[in-house]
Amino acid sequence: MQVRLRDWGNWVYLIPGLFFFLVYMAYPILKVSWISFTDYQYLSRVPAKFVGLKNFIDVLADPIFRTGMLRAATFTAIFLPGVIFIPLLVAVLVDRVKNPKVSTVYRLILLIPAVIPGAMIFVLWRWLYDYEIGPINVILVNYLHLFTARNAPQWVGVSNLAVPAVAFVEIWWGLGYHTMFFLAGLAAIPGEIFEAARVDGANEWQMFWHVTVPRLRPILLILVVLRFGTAMAVIDDFLIMGGLNRAMPTYTWTVYMWHLAFQIGNWPQGYAAAIGWLGAAAMLVVVAALFWVFRNRD
Amino acid sequence: MADTNAHLARAPRRKRRIRWSGVLLHGTIIFFCLVILVPIAWVLLLSIKSLRDAYTGTLWPEHFDFTHYAYVFVHMPQALRNFANSIIVTLSTVVITSIIAVLAGYALVHLRTPGRAVVFTVLVATLFFPTRLVSLIGIFQIQNSLHLINTLPGLILPYVTLNLALSIMIMRGIFEQISPEMVDAAHIDGASSWRTLREILLPLATNGIVVLVIINFVSAWGEYLLAVTLTNDQSVRTFPVVLVTTFGGFGEWAFPRVAAMYIMAITPGILTFAFAQRWYMKGLMEGALKL
Repeated sequence: MQVRLRDWGNWVYLIPGLFFFLVYMAYPILKVSWISFTDYQYLSRVPAKFVGLKNFIDVLADPIFRTGMLRAATFTAIFLPGVIFIPLLVAVLVDRVKNPKVSTVYRLILLIPAVIPGAMIFVLWRWLYDYEIGPINVILVNYLHLFTARNAPQWVGVSNLAVPAVAFVEIWWGLGYHTMFFLAGLAAIPGEIFEAARVDGANEWQMFWHVTVPRLRPILLILVVLRFGTAMAVIDDFLIMGGLNRAMPTYTWTVYMWHLAFQIGNWPQGYAAAIGWLGAAAMLVVVAALFWVFRNRD
Repeated sequence: MADTNAHLARAPRRKRRIRWSGVLLHGTIIFFCLVILVPIAWVLLLSIKSLRDAYTGTLWPEHFDFTHYAYVFVHMPQALRNFANSIIVTLSTVVITSIIAVLAGYALVHLRTPGRAVVFTVLVATLFFPTRLVSLIGIFQIQNSLHLINTLPGLILPYVTLNLALSIMIMRGIFEQISPEMVDAAHIDGASSWRTLREILLPLATNGIVVLVIINFVSAWGEYLLAVTLTNDQSVRTFPVVLVTTFGGFGEWAFPRVAAMYIMAITPGILTFAFAQRWYMKGLMEGALKL
């Protein structure tokens, strides 16, 4: 197609978006890339020097960064299956509800967390998980008498429970929204396919694996890759629920980056920038690998 | 909703099966609904407990106290100020992002804009990149050099980018559902591209715009990371950030009062959703979920 000069005039509609993209996305990222090669410290009066790859080499050898990556990976390993398979199950169930009114009510209830903002979700669960006044422990201790006030579970503390507990919160938050994704996908499957499968004697389980899942493959792929990315880069949950204690299993590489850049010492933002980039690079490698695994083989 | 269940209506009902399959179906869904509702109900209950009952180990209070909401309004002007900050920041973000997304979506679908494919690729790429995290230090430095630290515009500007790519993709999906013939017809009738957008496309994109508003509302209203990085003065902070940073539990910030503030913080979103759910659900199904 021949590009006419007049067509460039249509860029008028893209300019507002372009402005924000350039000023608050592209430029900050370039700036972070640049300072990651310097010893820039925000509070230091000494001018920053170019140090080449020193920050990157130091970060790779930094045990806190390594542990942080491992913790983020653990979180992802728990979160990802949960946020894919539970909504998939719920979607298949809700899709079978024949009464349209009942079905709508279910969808609305499931979507409530999707309209509660992130920070509010984490505040809520910080309460629920609280050791003393949290209703979960109140029920376990005062009502069910399974534990005493001394040995009740420390949900988000220096314990193995912390990461699964936070992962559960994220799954809870995403349940309705992801269910909607799958419901949209299910609605696009023609009913005749199920009919034909039934005539051939397929049972529910076989239909799920051989009809539903293959049809939902594009949605599954995009969700797995997107959620992998968000899971590895989670930070708000860990800051709000876990805080800045290095011994906590929630002190991941993202928290470490923020802690260094805005709290510790002279705010070594050059070093923190290198942490951000290395973490992002590691994620991108896995994202590329996932795309390769899920590539269309036909 | 009807469309969603259309194929079920056509499919032969697996009727006359043993009744418990229906019980199991609804039972499982209701279980998940309860998992979602009970925690929220607990906060609601906490916000109307008397101060004494809030600190005992019982779930159901002996005495109710409905004055905590009034207390926040009368005795905690700072909290109200934070609430106002949240409203200003959120409304600005939602309006700016939605306008940008509608304009860009239009240019990407219904106009012969050179470089559309490139723009689209960049948008998709940003979805797979931890942009928010990597750009954070850079955004802090920009706002610092523009003297926008501890100001509301300093929050609004970067907030627009939070969901910018996703919003444009959503509008693109919505506009793709509208047949290009309608747009061409308008062009032949001599309508300018701006008039075509305003008079033909916008009325058809209402559901999609509702989705945009809700998604951007939720992310701006409860944004934490940028807010806590770009502000440290309590008086310019947004409401949710103040709630996060004051998990005290005694005195003015007694639990039931904080719970009341919590309910105040989540109500706008739930009310908007309850009011707009019809369009929201349609918008989701129309194309907002087709990335």
